[in-house]
Amino acid sequence: MALLEVRGVTAGYGDTEILRNISMEVGEREIVSIIGPNGAGKSTLMKTIFGLLHPREGSVVFDGHDISRLQPYQIVERGMCYVPQVANVFTDLTVSENLEMGAFLAKTNDIAARMERIYEYFPRLKERRNQRAGKMSGGERQMVAMGSALMLDPKLVLMDEPSAGLSPKMVGVIFDQIRKINEAGPAILIVEQNAKLSLEMSDRGYVLASGENRFEGTGKELLNDPEVGRLYLGG
Amino acid sequence: MAEIVQNAPERSDDRTARERMMAALRSRTALGLALLLTLAVFWLLGQQQGATLSEMLSLTVWGVMLGGIIALGAIGLTLVYGVLKFPNFAHGELVTLGAYGALTFAAVLPMGPPMLPFSFGWELVAALILTMPAVSLIALAVDRVLFRPLRKRVASLVLFAMASLAAAFFLRSAIYLVWGSDFLFYYPGRANPAIDFPLDIRVQADQLFVFGLAVVLVILTWFLLERTRMGKAMRATANNPDLAQVRGINTERVIAWTWILGASLAAAGGVMYGLASQLRPEMGFWLLLPMFAAAIVGGLGSPVGAIAGAIIIGVAQQVSSAFLNPAYGPGVAFILLVIVLVLQPQGLFGQGGE
Repeated sequence: MALLEVRGVTAGYGDTEILRNISMEVGEREIVSIIGPNGAGKSTLMKTIFGLLHPREGSVVFDGHDISRLQPYQIVERGMCYVPQVANVFTDLTVSENLEMGAFLAKTNDIAARMERIYEYFPRLKERRNQRAGKMSGGERQMVAMGSALMLDPKLVLMDEPSAGLSPKMVGVIFDQIRKINEAGPAILIVEQNAKLSLEMSDRGYVLASGENRFEGTGKELLNDPEVGRLYLGG
Repeated sequence: MAEIVQNAPERSDDRTARERMMAALRSRTALGLALLLTLAVFWLLGQQQGATLSEMLSLTVWGVMLGGIIALGAIGLTLVYGVLKFPNFAHGELVTLGAYGALTFAAVLPMGPPMLPFSFGWELVAALILTMPAVSLIALAVDRVLFRPLRKRVASLVLFAMASLAAAFFLRSAIYLVWGSDFLFYYPGRANPAIDFPLDIRVQADQLFVFGLAVVLVILTWFLLERTRMGKAMRATANNPDLAQVRGINTERVIAWTWILGASLAAAGGVMYGLASQLRPEMGFWLLLPMFAAAIVGGLGSPVGAIAGAIIIGVAQQVSSAFLNPAYGPGVAFILLVIVLVLQPQGLFGQGGE
């Protein structure tokens, strides 16, 4: 059975319906991309999966349990973490305090050991562990945000546009780390504007447009699909 | 159209001398200097009214001590503002409740001899320790009845502020009802001799105790906020409530601990204020303006700023009493508040409009 299953979800804000009958799944240890134009509902889908928004119809099943009605902290407890696109670090807190907050729900007292593991992925963070996150560059902040989400050893990490606002070089660094993180265990569900790059490293992908599923397939299939290419990959 | 676009970048370099001066006036350093200047003017006015140097020095020392009491209230105010994002007008009543609560606890406990050189016995220290959790429980009850339903409905800031005003009136009426409207003393008629320091500065032993305790409580608060997981979670929630939720921080628990910390400090401040003067049902209300002024001078949401602001406000209130009726103390706090709001509303340590 898949780790995460979205079954016919319809969701939105107020009177506006943004997602219509979306179904998708993420298997254990998979990297799955959701691509699509601006306003397609990609971020809304992420928020619905993570409990920041509750579906009107359909359900979200994670690790065999229906989580559609749970609060985010209950979902974190079950092993799913989320890296928002913006405002994803505590700017007033230092790097190590940010990481510690990522493990707020940890039952055991092994914060230092957990932090060391994050510093292995991002050695730069260790050098800067006592610096306030607000004083760091966009790429470093993205590292702090990803590191905080990994502190609890999640089974699934949701990433909302990890490449947004970064230099091409930094995008390369971040994507390399995403691949490494995935090899170490957690499945990754990624929403990206930078569709080509993210499909290249994904096992599978979904194309979302106007709040509906349009295409799905392996990363390669979507990259080679002429229609997907013409509509969503810019060529 | 094209011309306007071309002109736009130049304009910022081409500011008039007046604009540049105004910008310089709005920096944090300028704000600090302006506040110091105000204190200096107060000092000179005092000396002009015939106060001697040692009298002025004594007033300054008392001002720092009053600042310690104000700081305990202002830290709570600034923390509640940071985490819950509304100005809590009922904070003064938590101060009053702390003072009266300790009076009742001390009356129940067997009275010991005064712990010389202080005017009070061990029972007041025990009462202080008991009144802090008692006032915390009241603050938690008010939150449960009043503020939590508003949070559930995502009410606007105005509603929260009005609700806290209502809570202030309710709590004050309850204080009148339980303890009456007379001025009360912890130890009526007991001597409270002053100790002489160099330069003819005279300070009562009780004042030293109050200040020492304020310093200890401030250090404990700092430790809590910087070194414990719940303290860091409070700062994280104040900084970015949405992300705190995403990281799995239970916001309601953070809010409860914020009330406990804020109310405990306010209660301790109330006991100390009652020891330094007397107990009145309005004592906390009269501290509300200085507490708000201290929190805003320091920068709302910043505990360090609240301490700095409280010392400045405390000194200003005491020094100004050399040339003004001390009843105008809150008015002096108000003057400093206006200076800050005009020059640099973010205060000395506040966040720059993030």
